[in-house]
Amino acid sequence: MLLPRFEYHQPASLDEAVEVLGQYAGEAAVLAGGTDLLVNMKHQAMAPSHLVSLAGVEGLDQASADGGRVTVGPLMSAAVLAQSEFIAANAGALALGAAVLGSPQVRTRATVGGNVCNARPAADMSVPLLALGARAVLTGPDGQRQVDLEEFFVGPGQTVRAPGELLSALEMDAPAPGTGWGYQKLGLRKALEISLVNVAAALSLEDDGKTIKAARVALGAVAPTPILAPGAAEVLVGQAAGGDVFKAAGQKAAADAKPIDDHRGSAWYRREMVAVLTARALNQAWARAQGQ
Amino acid sequence: MTQKFNVIGSRAPRLDAPDKATGRACYVDDIEFPHLLEGAILQSPHAHARILSIDTSAAEALPGVAAVITHRDVPDVRYGVSPARYDETIFAIDKVRYVGDEVAAVAAEDLDTAMAALELIKVEYEVLPHVLTVDEALAEGAPVIHDAFPGNICAEVHQEFGDVAAGFAESDIIRTDVFVNKRQDGAFIEPHRCVAVYDNFGQLTLTSSTQVPHYVQRTVAMVTGIDVGKVRVKKPYVGGGFGPKAEATPCDIISAFLAIKTGRPVRVAYSREQVFLHCRARHQFKHVMKTGFKKDGTIMALDHQCWLEGGAYSSFGIATVYYAGSLLAAPYKLPNMKYDGWRVYTNKPACGAQRGHGGVAARACFEQQLDLIAKQLDMDPIELRLKNIMTAGDVSCNDLAMSSLGMKECIEAVRDGSTWRDKRGRLPKGKGIGMASGFFVSGAGYPIYRSETYHCTVTIKVQEDGGTVKVLTGAAEIGQGSDTAMAMIAAEAIGIPLDRVRLVSGDTDYGVDLGAYSSRTTLMTGHATKEAGEAVKDRVLTALAEELGIERDRLDMANGLVEISGDPVDFSELRTKYIKEHRGWSDHPAGDQITFTEAARIAYLKYGTVVGTGKYKPPVLGGKFKGAAVGTSPAYGCSAQVAEVTVDLETGQVTVDSITDAHDCGKAVNLTSVEAQMEGSVSMGLGEAMFEEVKFDDQGRVLNASLGEYHIPTVLDMPQMSCIVVESGEPNGPFGAKEVGEGAIMPTIPAILNAVHDATGVTITELPITPERVLKALKEKEQEKD
Repeated sequence: MLLPRFEYHQPASLDEAVEVLGQYAGEAAVLAGGTDLLVNMKHQAMAPSHLVSLAGVEGLDQASADGGRVTVGPLMSAAVLAQSEFIAANAGALALGAAVLGSPQVRTRATVGGNVCNARPAADMSVPLLALGARAVLTGPDGQRQVDLEEFFVGPGQTVRAPGELLSALEMDAPAPGTGWGYQKLGLRKALEISLVNVAAALSLEDDGKTIKAARVALGAVAPTPILAPGAAEVLVGQAAGGDVFKAAGQKAAADAKPIDDHRGSAWYRREMVAVLTARALNQAWARAQGQ
Repeated sequence: MTQKFNVIGSRAPRLDAPDKATGRACYVDDIEFPHLLEGAILQSPHAHARILSIDTSAAEALPGVAAVITHRDVPDVRYGVSPARYDETIFAIDKVRYVGDEVAAVAAEDLDTAMAALELIKVEYEVLPHVLTVDEALAEGAPVIHDAFPGNICAEVHQEFGDVAAGFAESDIIRTDVFVNKRQDGAFIEPHRCVAVYDNFGQLTLTSSTQVPHYVQRTVAMVTGIDVGKVRVKKPYVGGGFGPKAEATPCDIISAFLAIKTGRPVRVAYSREQVFLHCRARHQFKHVMKTGFKKDGTIMALDHQCWLEGGAYSSFGIATVYYAGSLLAAPYKLPNMKYDGWRVYTNKPACGAQRGHGGVAARACFEQQLDLIAKQLDMDPIELRLKNIMTAGDVSCNDLAMSSLGMKECIEAVRDGSTWRDKRGRLPKGKGIGMASGFFVSGAGYPIYRSETYHCTVTIKVQEDGGTVKVLTGAAEIGQGSDTAMAMIAAEAIGIPLDRVRLVSGDTDYGVDLGAYSSRTTLMTGHATKEAGEAVKDRVLTALAEELGIERDRLDMANGLVEISGDPVDFSELRTKYIKEHRGWSDHPAGDQITFTEAARIAYLKYGTVVGTGKYKPPVLGGKFKGAAVGTSPAYGCSAQVAEVTVDLETGQVTVDSITDAHDCGKAVNLTSVEAQMEGSVSMGLGEAMFEEVKFDDQGRVLNASLGEYHIPTVLDMPQMSCIVVESGEPNGPFGAKEVGEGAIMPTIPAILNAVHDATGVTITELPITPERVLKALKEKEQEKD
């Protein structure tokens, strides 16, 4: 249980970080909170010969809103996100997910950028970000590019991020008035739990306060990556919000899910839970959309 | 029990609290050893394989490696827990029997080098077919794990007490129920570790994270061939044990061999993953119980079968398979009981003892069945239990004698404490309340090896120049609070305040003590401590009586002050003498009573060093049948719990909202410690009920060998606890005390199961109570209705 040997780099700027990363592309890993990386290295599951720490790069741990766009810094910790009023107002699903990630100790270290780049199918921040319609901003030697999060995840632990690229920001559109979010996580314990199933929902109401204008439902732990449930969104839009339509959306989401049997739970149970948790997440989002 | 106590029964702060709260407590890894080498163990990657060859040359050639050893370098000595089943060798000789079996070990200048050396050891295996479950192991033509045990049956028990057939013939209702738990892990905070030092006098000293210095000393002496008198085992602070540390481990034995070979101190320490591979924790049990009842609820007969999935070696398993049967004979009157148990070898890590040894799953099965019978009879489950319970003076069909038993008091306490009558059958759907009882030994009646040895000896020495005493005991403080309890017992027995007692423990040099297992320390070491304390008190007061020229029986001691009955005695001369001896000191005794300090000084001046010794072994206990040694105890603790749960009917998720818990510990030596044991037991029982399961893939590799993936309860998962301490006054216990450490876990699982049934109407017969299992049961019940 010892860390393998590696060379440690602490660049002082984003440009320098990209440069160092490019230099050792393929042999380097990015160190943010380290809650996954260091554990994996201790278990010999990964042995990067270079670690590029982002601790010296300024400006990556802030959130801001500008011209209808919300930006979340990748170095923001789960603890900060969970407590931020700005995030609660502008990207509420992310605050809900961050609040139930791991334990207080883990939340203090774990970053949203790390959570997204690790691309675990049940990640507590990735699933909400997917429901928020977030985009990954990647900075590399050839400049910046933006990738929709649904395109970003490729498989368990795999993303489209090139070895020389850095996730420099997460962006999303500012929420329309009348938007609310829900997040539901099902595990065995009340903390330190990898979800059996987790569901995030974003719901925007028309000015009438009833009709659903837009909806996004994202599912965790039911596919190789966090996924969207387009079928659920489809049955919601244009309908009056309420228990029945949420239930129908849950059924659609269950159909969109592609769960497997593993030692944590069966595909049957996971599918059942997608339906239940989707309806609950939508109810939660609806209550918030109505200003409750 | 109207005896008045000055120290016993208080909430004295634990002796170790300041050290543990400030981080000054030293565990094995906190102790520095000059010139220490780090050891590492090469473990089998196969569940079952023949070893064709081992080549250690490359590892030996690696710079920084001090020694590499395999079975070729150590005596061919078989060891284990029960002498009747010594089936382990420290390194595999002809074959490996589970993923994790020890093949070789290395000592090197640092752990990096030791780990690198392990990778250089070349082992050629011929992989053999393996068996991972009881069914696979018992199948015809199954691979044989130990040649001496064809059919893979490690141990079997066949007992009948009373006349079971006649009992069933008189029964009105007969029910058969099946129950399965899962293999558990001890999940203590500190993984096993040991540092061995072999000195120039040929003495081997082990500093080990163990529950049982005494058994480690004997096993290491036997395996290494070193005279037992030259093997010393010390236990510093230990980060929990719960059973899996109640035997000598490869850390102990391998560090010893490496230290002998290198002449330098060697540490061998498990990672968390290795704790799972070593296991020695709770077995998986499958119980089938056929029970007969009269219409009025009287229990008539039990026909019980049990299969234990044991892993590759015996460990404590023989005792476990006996306990799984014998502990059901109480606390209910059960006139006829038949038990057939089989412990089966599999190609998995060996299971052993864990809190509530052998009895936990059996108790869960039986207490769940009692609730189902109560429902069938339309009786309140508490009434059914009260109808059948034993009381003090009763003897079970298998000769367990209840010298005290506050079972009725426990049941009534949780019934009233939980307001059961207002809730049972009156809660909304999805809310439930359930209860169960429990029962456990207060110390195993016999040592693990056949012997007339004392189970413990204690020495108390009065410090020559002061009014403090020093207690020396081999007892193992592993976090349960035995140091504090023994110090309190010593203080009470001598008649001095607790802060006058210093205590050292957990070292085989301090005396014999079988260790922290079978909930034995408070009763057994407590007896020896009390006897030693009384000897000290008598010696000191005898000296004082001589000095004062009065009869000894006029003197007594309490709170550090001498009490003299009859006419007042002038002791001014004695005091003047003491004060002259301490000219310039500011703490001269004052007041109108002689102090313990003055009296102790008199005793020293008269006799030299004053020492009191105590010893304990249980009296000859009942039962002449085979296996009677497992289950007999000088006393029995008992308990009852009421659990209240909320079941999410859509997800199947169960939340345990509260537990009302009553335990009869005879007499609480330290009330806070008793409550802590009750809460700790509930936490562990809750984990087994709700979350815990060591999982394997089809190659016998542990899938969840970390505390991230093996779920024990967090503080957020703990229910609201209400602890009620019942004190029945145990005649065989010191100051009336008996166990709380393990018995307190017994009711937790069935109380939760019974509450889930009350909330949903479904019966869960396989642990853990996962949301998926509950939802499936709910759906099946719905379908039955349709």
